Amino acid sequence: MWREVSAESQARQRPGTERCERGAGDIVAPPGHWRLAWQAAGGSLPYSLLIDRRAFVAALILLLALLTASLAYLAMGSSPLPPQAVPAALVGRGDMMAVFLVQELRLPRLAAACLTGAAFGVAGCLMQTLARNRLATPGIIGIDNGATAFAVASVIGLGVSLAPPAMALAGATTAAALTFGLAAGGGVRGYRFIVAGIGVGAVFGAITQLLLAKVHIDTANAAYPWTVGSLNARPAGAVMLLAVGLSLGLGAALWLTRALSLMRFSDAVASGLGLRVARRRWQVLAVSVLLTGLAVAVAGPVGLIGLIGPEIARSLSSPRGVPVVASALAGALVMVLADLAGRILLSPIEIPVGIVTAVVGGPWLLWILLRPASRNLA
Amino acid sequence: MTQHELATRDLTLCHGRATIIDRLALTLPAGEVTAIVGPNGCGKSTLLAGLSRLHAPKQGTVLLDGRDIQQLPARELARRLALLPQEAIAPEGLTVAELVRFGRQPHQGWLRQWSAEDQQVVRQALAAADVSELAGRPLDTLSGGQRQRAWIAMTIAQQTPLLLLDEPTSALDLGHQIEVFELVRRLAADGRTVVMVLHDLASACRYADHLLALRSGQLIAAGPPGEVVTTELVRRLYGIDCTLIPDPATGSLLLANVRRAGRCGDA
Repeated sequence: MWREVSAESQARQRPGTERCERGAGDIVAPPGHWRLAWQAAGGSLPYSLLIDRRAFVAALILLLALLTASLAYLAMGSSPLPPQAVPAALVGRGDMMAVFLVQELRLPRLAAACLTGAAFGVAGCLMQTLARNRLATPGIIGIDNGATAFAVASVIGLGVSLAPPAMALAGATTAAALTFGLAAGGGVRGYRFIVAGIGVGAVFGAITQLLLAKVHIDTANAAYPWTVGSLNARPAGAVMLLAVGLSLGLGAALWLTRALSLMRFSDAVASGLGLRVARRRWQVLAVSVLLTGLAVAVAGPVGLIGLIGPEIARSLSSPRGVPVVASALAGALVMVLADLAGRILLSPIEIPVGIVTAVVGGPWLLWILLRPASRNLA
Repeated sequence: MTQHELATRDLTLCHGRATIIDRLALTLPAGEVTAIVGPNGCGKSTLLAGLSRLHAPKQGTVLLDGRDIQQLPARELARRLALLPQEAIAPEGLTVAELVRFGRQPHQGWLRQWSAEDQQVVRQALAAADVSELAGRPLDTLSGGQRQRAWIAMTIAQQTPLLLLDEPTSALDLGHQIEVFELVRRLAADGRTVVMVLHDLASACRYADHLLALRSGQLIAAGPPGEVVTTELVRRLYGIDCTLIPDPATGSLLLANVRRAGRCGDA
């Protein structure tokens, strides 16, 4: 029974007394934010938006870096152009050769690099948030490999008439279903989920190799860039489909940002704050799988982008939110730089972008694993 | 603050095939502090999870003001009932004020992200939990008691008439426990209904108005601690014998001469 009530605590029991300390006129945005407010029609409560300054600046920096990298991408190659010739060539002026190089050869490939990079970046960011684990990217939990196996099956004409994007989507969905099914007992937040995903990925990787071993060497060669991840052989329709899918997926991810920032808490906390955890989890998973499948259909399994992109985005952004836009921009940036490096390092021989990202991403993965404060791994 | 009543009717909660709570009917008195006590594994935390809709009942209902909580929209429930689970995990690097602002989530929307009311409620919540000075500190730099008060501040910012706390003082040293309990009393004095799971019976006697004693999923006693706590109840709950004496300063019951049931005291 509570008998002792001091005068001091009695005074503190009435927080309502400080109610009118500040009027509605001087709302201050929380530290590190800008607040945009405007009056709603009909005199109801004003609308307000909070913009995280650091996240905004991070996105701006990444956007500028992406633009610079894109300029370099368009200028550099086996026949380099002076950077100042690129803008002119983009609008169809100047040297015929330059216009051809930029508009016909490099620009479509740049667009594909940006789209796939952004899709992998967002997909990685969503999956990491969903599983509350930085290792849980679609590439690591087997979704890339599932999409690849199915797409390769369609490329080498294994009696399936679906186009690569549809097959890649089917593969991504199958792999996701398997991983989630196998991890069902332990939930998505733990080693069981990651280990199940690695196993599923390994099985699909083996299936891909098996498919390639059984077909004629020329067919296998045609499918090879696909299995390592390359922007050299891009199915035309797949890029368009990815563009549409990415705009939808990015829109959905932005719509889910508030839910995503709650998902970083333990489920009980998130649900206590009014989040329908199970429903949101399905939505986030669906967007992540869709983006992965469509991106794999264009570039093959360059899944490490899904690890590196969000990692860069998070280190630049604030811990207050989930950096969806920054992950898209960082993913695109890494993809553009990696493909550029692959094109010029051993020119005229081209290194597939998947190999470049593996060379860079492998050590990155090790660093995450070996970092002393790896609290997010559990 | 308007008072809301939480009650269960015929509530059965299961983990897989094991029945944890068996057809429980109880009413939590509005505006009071209720402590749920019982031995490990008696279903205290499961009951709290059931009361907060984290755990769906196999049978029966949890009623909030006469309405089944399973039927309430998630955000509406979060505006009426706040929960602090036992293992609350926050994103890395979050500061106290940022955590507390998340408590406003059920009141906000995509186009209403920060209102005058949000600002005022967050400031009051920080003050009520005595963490105003810590507002800018990252959670991982706080002591256990400070961190727990920050979490409670988040639930205060939810402005719910009902507050459910799962072992809010476990893993805290005595000083930090008292900080949290005194905060709970202040919240109840504001008119909130507080329900907390506790494993320490003496703290429950001192800080709760109402006690629910659970054993193997069954309610074996309910009422004011001074009336329901007897040496017989302590033996049934924990299998120990003890002498109950009133605290000379507050009158709440203290457990003295505690020993395993059936043994003589050392004295």
